[in-house]
Amino acid sequence: MGGLTTSLLVGLQALEASQAALDATSNNIANANTPGYTREVVQLSENAENESAGTVTGGGVTLDGIQSVRDELLNLQIQQQTSLQSSADTQSSSLQPIQQYFASSGNDIATTLSSFSSSLAQLSASPSSSAAQQSVLSAGQNLAQSFNTTANGLTSAQTSADQQVTQTVAQINSLTQQIAQLNSQLSSTSATSENGGAIEDQRDQLVQQLSTLTGIDVSQSSSGEVITTGNGSPLVIGSQSFSLQTATGTDGFQQVLDSNGNNITSSIQGGQLGGAIQVRDQVIPGFLNSLNTLASQFATAFNAAQAKGYDSNGKAGQNFFTVPPGTAGAAAGIGVALTSPSQIAISSDGSAGSNGNVANLSAALTNALPSGQTPANAYANIVFQVGNAASNASAESTAVGQNILQLTNQQSAVSGVSIDEETTNLIRYQTAYEAAARIVSTIQALSTVTLDMGSTQSY
Amino acid sequence: MRVNPNTVPDILADINQSQGTLNTLLQEVSTGKSVSVPSDNPSASAQMVQNTIESADVDQYTQNVSTTLNAVQSASSVLSSVVSSLTQAVSLGTEGANGTTSASNQQALAEQVQGILANVVSEANTSFAGSYLFGGTGTGKAPYTADPTSPTGYTYNGTNDSNSVEVGDNLNVQFSLPGSQVFSNSSNSVMGALSSLATALQSGSTSSISSATSAVTSAISYLGQQQAFYSSAQGQLNSQETTLQQDTVTLTTQATNLIGVNEATAATELSQAETDNSAVLAAAAKVLPQNLLNYLSTPS
Repeated sequence: MGGLTTSLLVGLQALEASQAALDATSNNIANANTPGYTREVVQLSENAENESAGTVTGGGVTLDGIQSVRDELLNLQIQQQTSLQSSADTQSSSLQPIQQYFASSGNDIATTLSSFSSSLAQLSASPSSSAAQQSVLSAGQNLAQSFNTTANGLTSAQTSADQQVTQTVAQINSLTQQIAQLNSQLSSTSATSENGGAIEDQRDQLVQQLSTLTGIDVSQSSSGEVITTGNGSPLVIGSQSFSLQTATGTDGFQQVLDSNGNNITSSIQGGQLGGAIQVRDQVIPGFLNSLNTLASQFATAFNAAQAKGYDSNGKAGQNFFTVPPGTAGAAAGIGVALTSPSQIAISSDGSAGSNGNVANLSAALTNALPSGQTPANAYANIVFQVGNAASNASAESTAVGQNILQLTNQQSAVSGVSIDEETTNLIRYQTAYEAAARIVSTIQALSTVTLDMGSTQSY
Repeated sequence: MRVNPNTVPDILADINQSQGTLNTLLQEVSTGKSVSVPSDNPSASAQMVQNTIESADVDQYTQNVSTTLNAVQSASSVLSSVVSSLTQAVSLGTEGANGTTSASNQQALAEQVQGILANVVSEANTSFAGSYLFGGTGTGKAPYTADPTSPTGYTYNGTNDSNSVEVGDNLNVQFSLPGSQVFSNSSNSVMGALSSLATALQSGSTSSISSATSAVTSAISYLGQQQAFYSSAQGQLNSQETTLQQDTVTLTTQATNLIGVNEATAATELSQAETDNSAVLAAAAKVLPQNLLNYLSTPS
């Protein structure tokens, strides 16, 4: 049978339980807007009943601890989607500056190609006008220049993507070290069964950041949390982190090596790193290749047309454009070889007034190149590729953004702090605390009365 | 199930999206373009490349047609004027061969025919926009210059070729004939016929005058055939001009369809987006401050 002391003990436990609940509630309110914070709930359990002489009395309450409420599966999904979005965002922001070179600006290839074409049509009407000849030469120079500018724009976007690779790898290494350290702290707190909530929150937050940098796989093993890149190269195993390295590859760009020195560049997907590598090694080289093919084939076709005629001095037409041999670097290297308008092969028979070869020159712009497309179509195709890549990247980012919003909502539904709920709890635990305190004071009063029994002296 | 207590990200996403739509529409209305960078509409941007090039070409072709039409018309009127000069020469020849004309009158007629020849030569040297209409592809020197060693007294300096002008993609129209074909052709020479008539009139031989006169008559009919070339070129250029005008309209319409903005639609959409944006903001303003604390009495 329980006595006053037992009741006092139960009251004390109740005070402790309410105190802990108030702690959890106040911590929740304090961190209501802290990124990565997961709400805490107090874990209470009912004590075993006391049975004595056939009478059963309640054993009070035990405070088991304070638990953070989190959903690991949701966290994983959010990490994966974040990697996807971050990759799409990186591609989109790399492609935005490139797009400017393909938008109608007055200096873009479409405009200069059209000026070149119309200057040739004008030359056909006034073959002996030096103004018309000069305008063909200038339009040719402008066209070559816009090829150069566009190619350089693409290359510089590629270079900044390359710089991004190096920077991102450094950030990844710094994050994996911090995560490994937190893992080590976490394993020691788990051992002493203290609340690891805050450390776990921090770690989740860092893993979340890591997922914006590169695509990762997170799993649990006996040695703690294991984080690997998409292809399985370890980044963190428990309390140990593995640094990625960079090395200059044969193409002059930074290659990513795992901790064993294996080149894993091509298998990295997702995140800023995946996005930057995709843009640098796949997307831009695709554009550059098309542009180089166009520049090279167009220059060759136009030079061939030039060779069919004679210039104003009666000499056989020489090359109009210079272009580096082979297609690589053609767009960046194309230039005008002619130094004087009189070198344009206008004449078909060597006589000064003939314009017979202008038709051949114009035909070089409207006839299909070896690629099977006319220069205009080939360029239009590149514009489409660029526009499509940029539009796809931003559409993907938007779509994945919607997913992330959904998942974050779900996560917030599980782990987010509701001020209304906490306020309600505050009132509940306040009342409970007051009641528990009342138990203690009541028992105290009863003890006094009990001690006073049969005594003239009052305690 | 627990409800997501944090509505801020959702509200921000809504405001963001609404603001984005508003910005896009504002830009469309202010620039009059629905496509500013290729990603706005990749396929329209690609089609615009072709459109830009074709539009510039069509403009230049239209100019070429109009310049060439003027040249063809002047050449044609030169031919008409030469024909009327030749007709005059025929009547002079007929007069010289009628048997009653005195030798001195025949001399006078011969001089008149020489005058006509000089006139025809000057017509044949007509230039248009800096180049000679009947010089073939030759430049610089007038097609016909006086040459005492030549039987006609004039020599042809031009070439026997002629230029064509580009008036469409891969469409070149020949717009002139060389003087060697029109005026000093070996079988039907206008210059030769006039020169022979003058010589015959000087000689006073009626039969020579008659045969020289009939040679001038046949030169008239030969010029008529040459005239047909110019009429045909003129017809071809006129029809190409119509085609180009049609092309200009088509290309402009295409450009508007591809990247243009329908002002009325865009303005309506903009006003709709403004309303939506206000609604989103008003909703956010109502929802965000809502919580239990507003309704609890402050602890005493």
